[in-house]
Parts: sequence; structure tokens; C-alpha cells
Amino acid sequence: MRHAPLLLCLVLATAACGQAKESSPGATAGGSLDFQGSWNGLGSRHTIALGGDRLGSIVNLKGSMLLAGSGRPGVGFQSEVIGLNDSGTGFQGRSVWTDEHGDQVFSSLQGEGTAANNRIDGTILSGTGRYAGMTGSYQFSWQWVMEGEDGAVQGRAVDLRGRIQPGPVPGAPSR
Amino acid sequence: MTPGLIDPKVPDGVAPKPPGLIRELGTGLRIKRAAPFALALAIWFFPVPAGLTAPAWHLFAVFAAAIASVLINAFPLLTASMLAVGAIVLTGTIKPEQAYSGFANSSVLLVVIAFIVAQAVVKSGLGRRVSLFMVSRFGGSSLGLAYSIVLTDAVIAPAFPSNTARGGVLFPIVLSVAQGAGSKPEDETRYLGGYLMFCSMAGLAVSSALWMTATSCNPIAVQIIKQAGLDIDFAKWFLASAVPSLLAILLLPLIVAKLFPPRVGKTPEAPAAARKELAGMGRMSREEWITAGTFLLMVAGWIFGNQLHLNTTSVAFMGFGVLLFLGVITLDDITKQGDTLVTFFWLAVLFAMSAQLNEMGFMGYVGQRLAAGLGGLSWMTLYMTLVVLYVVIHYMFVSQTSQVLALFGVFLDVGTKGGVPLPLMAFALLFASSYFSVITPQGGSQNIIFAASGYLTQRELYKLGGIITLAFLAIYLVVGSPWVYFVMR
Repeated sequence: MRHAPLLLCLVLATAACGQAKESSPGATAGGSLDFQGSWNGLGSRHTIALGGDRLGSIVNLKGSMLLAGSGRPGVGFQSEVIGLNDSGTGFQGRSVWTDEHGDQVFSSLQGEGTAANNRIDGTILSGTGRYAGMTGSYQFSWQWVMEGEDGAVQGRAVDLRGRIQPGPVPGAPSR
Repeated sequence: MTPGLIDPKVPDGVAPKPPGLIRELGTGLRIKRAAPFALALAIWFFPVPAGLTAPAWHLFAVFAAAIASVLINAFPLLTASMLAVGAIVLTGTIKPEQAYSGFANSSVLLVVIAFIVAQAVVKSGLGRRVSLFMVSRFGGSSLGLAYSIVLTDAVIAPAFPSNTARGGVLFPIVLSVAQGAGSKPEDETRYLGGYLMFCSMAGLAVSSALWMTATSCNPIAVQIIKQAGLDIDFAKWFLASAVPSLLAILLLPLIVAKLFPPRVGKTPEAPAAARKELAGMGRMSREEWITAGTFLLMVAGWIFGNQLHLNTTSVAFMGFGVLLFLGVITLDDITKQGDTLVTFFWLAVLFAMSAQLNEMGFMGYVGQRLAAGLGGLSWMTLYMTLVVLYVVIHYMFVSQTSQVLALFGVFLDVGTKGGVPLPLMAFALLFASSYFSVITPQGGSQNIIFAASGYLTQRELYKLGGIITLAFLAIYLVVGSPWVYFVMR
């Protein structure tokens, strides 16, 4: 096996990328569905000093979000977050989740964004495709990792939990 | 019959000599050359896995095919990377500025400049003087030379926060020693040079694991571990790493000699001959003094770069500029550096592709899915599986820091939640984050300087890299794990 490492790597990647059973949030329209998950985001952070200990920073992170639980809207998403953090007033951000079909979920984020309280609350605003009309909320705690040599930063969502109300099933009569 | 595992082969530096027209190719080579395209198309048109986006999946298809084409010797790395970057931009998979970002990456530029500065050390005669000095002290055998290089690296490593810069310091010495011993990349004498180059490259990987301050990704990983509840300082790191790392350093030249025999055994007469020749060289020339002074200033800039807020690559650029200004390197010398340009092209492209795979979440996705699928294992099995996976996944990365940022926290979380003691999991991942860099020639930017020397073919680099990584993995798991468990109780 001259190319064993590459083959092993490809097998691992393929195994990891194997088709997982998809859930269909639209099928249970009307009820609330719970989900949990994990998210690791990589990107950049630019910080300016606002006098004293106060700091302002803009962040842009992209990463893979994997969800679990019977109510998950999808197995996983590519998630992108853009946000503004002011250590004096807190964190405000927007997030887009994109699935393998290109369907998207849009949400807003807010939190204190301080070292003492890094809990972030997300509100699902709307979606496209199979997530059209979906609403809900989610929470997670934010962990920052030091910047790399090239200015890259990593953000980690810890204890990500949420609840969604799927949108109306396409073709179903409106009530 | 070659005594080692590696078949003898006409050295090709970065690439095997390409045949001419397609119609001149044999059937075997045609199939070989078709295989990477087939692989790319197969992955590309496979349904996009849930949780990934189409661009990330398509980029993976092209990246995997490019690496595979080099491994099966279908194309040189330059050809594969040029086809790959053309494909991903023309298909709209990623934006041009993302695909070309590697050309402005400071690590990539540092590799290129370090490579050119190394040629100045050789050209000025300083390299020959240093090589004769080393042969006069350690030249009784090729093994002695290899040990002198890896041990020197291990000693200077804690002072260098950039292992790429450290590679830039070692490479001119290794190149000079190889050339001084009559080893040339273009003929059968290349084995000694190849042996020394690979020992140096792999030595950098282990010396980075030996000291907390020996590479920039170590402190980042330490911060992640701190958030998990374990404080690691310089002394604690050294205590945990000393036994497995020093064992790996001691075994490295012996293992590489078995796999890739230098074909030069004991040379008891060499030290005396080198001393005589060194005496014949006379006093240092103007060019040697300038090169030595510039090189020492560059080394000082790399060592104290963090404290003085100096960019490592800028230090290299300034040194390069000084050598040009004072005429040690001329424009004519630069025009002859075709290999450097080749290296710059393929490294920049692969670097950008791997970085984009990471940014698009592909690496994190694979890591999270694999790690999450290990539930229910005993902690010991989980521990070993996680470490092996973490090392193997580095096949897809072109930067150690990128993998640490993307996957270190995920693997640490899964391990500790599965019952693996935190210090054991933490140190195993910390050490792996350094020694896995040798798994591919592009697995760490410091490798490229040695890989591009022309003494080893790409296939040899991949083969040796795979086997040595396996050896390191075995040493750190079998010897390192009980040691860490014992001292961190």
C-alpha cells in the first residue's frame, strides 16, 4: 500500500462526509422543535481601543455547525457570523446558515460579549427554501481562542441549544 | 537491489521530467494521468454531504485530486497545482483573491526568501567553511553529521518562535555540508544530501514538540487547553515532552538511515581532510563576513522578533536586500533561481487551497463528524483513535496553526468528555501538532525549504514522511503516554 496515508485520509473524509439522515422541519409545522449542536468558526477579528479598558472589535467567522436532536432543522450547516463587539455595550451580530442545497437560515445575535458573561442569544428571523418561514431562537456561550500568526482567530460555540418553529409546509392549507 | 525501502530514481527536485506530447505517453502513464481527473470528477459529482456547501465539496474534490496526482506520480506538483487553481477559479468554486492569497502569505514568502538567502551562504564561501568545520568535528560518519544537525536544532529551538525561520537557519548549513561532502541533487551522490535534508526536516518537527516556545502554534494550543482547565507553562511542557521527544530525536537518524541509506558509511579520514582543507581556505573573505553578519542579524531578528514587534518575513526581506545591496547576491544569481519560482507557485496555490478548505468549514466538518462518531469507546481506545485521526487529518492541511485553530479544541473536548484524562489528551494533541508536520512535504512551511532542495523526489518525501510520522506516533503513544500519565498525576 504505497499510498496508504492518502487512501486512509480519503476514506476518513468520505466516512465523515457520509450522507446523514436528513430531518425535514417543514413536516412537523406548527410545533416547537428542540436541537443542540456545536460550532467552530474561523476568521478574523479587528480590534480598536476605545479608551481605558474599553475595546471595540469587528469579527467575521465562518465554520461548520453540526446539529443534533430530533428537532434539528438540518444535519449541519456552514455558518457565517459577522458582528460588532463593544466591551462597554455588548455584542450585536448577524448569522447566515447555509445547507448542502444552498437553502439558508438567517438570524440575529446579541449578548453582553464580556469575559464575565459571554452568552449569546440568537433569534432566527427567516429562511429560504425548506427553511422558508422558520422562526425560533438559540443560545450559546462564546469562547475565543488566541489569534494565530496570520491574524486568524477561532470562535467556539459552547452549549449551543435552540428551539425552532418550522414554517408552513408547502402546499398545506393556511389556517 | 537498493538496500533501503526507497527505489533509486533519477532525482527530479520538485518534479519528474515531463514527457513530451500526450501521444508519446505509454498506456500506463495515460491511465495514471487520467486517474486524478476521474477522482476529481467522482467526488465533484457525488451528492454534497449534508452540512457542507457545494463550493467546499468541490474544492475538496480538486484538492484531493491534485495531491493524489503527485502521489501516483502522474504529474509534478507544479502541474497539479496550476491545473487545480485554474479549475477552482474558472468554475467559480472560490474567488480569485482567495485562490491567490497564498502568494501574499508571509509564511510562503519567508520560505522563498530563506531559500534564496541560503544560496548566498553557499555562494559566498561561508557555507563551505561551515561545512568543513562540521565535517572536521562530526564527519567520521554520515550518522555523526545527521546527529550534529538534529541536536543543534533541538538546542536552538526554544529561542525560535518560528520553526520556518529555524529551517531558514539550518538549511544553508545542511546544504553546505551536503555539497561539501560531494553530494549533488542531479546524480547518484544525492543520497547523502537527501538523508541529511530529511533528517533536518523531521528533526524540526520533533524539536518543535520538545519545547513550548519552538513554534508559533504551541502557545495557541496552550491557550485552548487553559480554557479547558489546565495551565501549561514552559517547565511543565518540557517535563512532559522530554522523554518521548528526546527518544524520537535519538532514533530519527537511525530510522531514516534504514529507510533511505545515505550510501556513505564511516569516513574516518574525512575529519582530517576537512581540517586540512579548512586551513587551506585561509581567512574569511569580504563576502563571507558580510553574509555572516547579515545572517546573524537575521537570526537575532527572528529570535527577538516578538519582543521587538518585528515581522519575521520582513527580517528576511531586509537581509535579502542587504545582501543584494552589498553585492553578495547579484541579479544574475536571482535569475538562475528557477527552482525557487517553481516552489513559490505550487506552495502558494496549495497553501491557499488548504486555507480555503479550512475557512469553508470542510476541515472542521470532517474533524467534528469523525470525533463525534467515536461515542461509546473505552477512554483508552478513544484516546488512541483521536490521536491517530488528528495526525492523519493533517494530510489535508498545509499549515500547523490552521489545524490547531480548526480541530484542537474539538478533539480535546471529545476526548475529555469521553473520559480521557485532560493532561494526557492535551499533551498528546500538543505533541502531535508538531510532529505531524512531516507527514507531507507541504505539511509545515519549514519543510518546503528542505523539500525544494532537489535531493529528494516528491514520492520519496511522501513515503519517508508517512513512515516517520508513523514512527513518531508510535513513540509518543507507547512511550510518551505512560510518561505523561506518570508525571502529570
